[in-house]
Amino acid sequence: MTTRRGFIELAAAATLAGCTHMPAPKKPPTEKRMSTTMRARPLMTLRLATAPTQELGAGPHGTRLTFPITGGTFEGDRLRGKVLAGGDDWAIKRADGVIELDLRVTLETDDGVLVHMTFEGIRDDAAPGAPYFRTLPRFEAPKGKYTFLNEMLAVGVGEIRADGPVHLIEEIL
Amino acid sequence: MQTRPLMTLQVVVAAPQKIGAVPHGTRTTAPIASGHFEGPRMRGKVLPGGGDWTLLRADGVLELDLRVTLETDDGALVHFASFGLRHGPPEIIAALGRGERVDPSLYYFRTTPRFETSHPKYLFLNRLRAIATGDRRADGPIYTIEEIL
Repeated sequence: MTTRRGFIELAAAATLAGCTHMPAPKKPPTEKRMSTTMRARPLMTLRLATAPTQELGAGPHGTRLTFPITGGTFEGDRLRGKVLAGGDDWAIKRADGVIELDLRVTLETDDGVLVHMTFEGIRDDAAPGAPYFRTLPRFEAPKGKYTFLNEMLAVGVGEIRADGPVHLIEEIL
Repeated sequence: MQTRPLMTLQVVVAAPQKIGAVPHGTRTTAPIASGHFEGPRMRGKVLPGGGDWTLLRADGVLELDLRVTLETDDGALVHFASFGLRHGPPEIIAALGRGERVDPSLYYFRTTPRFETSHPKYLFLNRLRAIATGDRRADGPIYTIEEIL
């Protein structure tokens, strides 16, 4: 994955934060180490299909843009299925150019469970190097197989592709 | 996902306000008395007056909603807000409740901080998202906050 901040910083951050998919090297459990274990693992790839953007114009917080969600898919080791039509991403383009995202959708797993999903995030197309498109998804699942979704925080890395946005979502361990 | 260190934030909580059973769980509000933060790009103190509005859900997960104002050592004010989750084995959570020191790797305590500022030097905070690992101490939590790259 490439990001805007450059390879050297990435490598440094990965080393310092242990934030890769590889197990962190064993180190003595110093206090510092104990409190800086930031790790993640893949949760799903979410692909959204959107209808034409509704541009509502300038409002008190910026330019309001609503992206209706008409469908989509999600796929991961622990869950997969489709995105139901009827959700939206209620976005605001701020005066500094950053778009704040506020998405709500319903997921339907391939075994018929409905999961409420939201995310808050930002998209900064002017970020140096590459757009900075990061989201913080949250889930509400009924008691059962997918309860684990209720107990995690997650991070999504978004990309705009020709056929719609794609979010690579990882569970924060 | 790649991250890089942003800051370590320690907040000192005052006596909790136990609001009790509400429609979504058990609500407790912890006023923030003080605190400090330190990182490669910024450091300073936490102003009194913020709070952590917590909700213990029926499934045993604690939702946290911390809002404070940070003041950097060069005088910038930064609005800080983070949503988080905390949960773990019952005996570990009970030990935290008794104010004992617990290895933070034994429970899940993660938050997603956001920042707002008008100070030109710190505008980068308006354009990033972050994640944090929490370490609950008797006098308040310590958060290790990383910028999501």
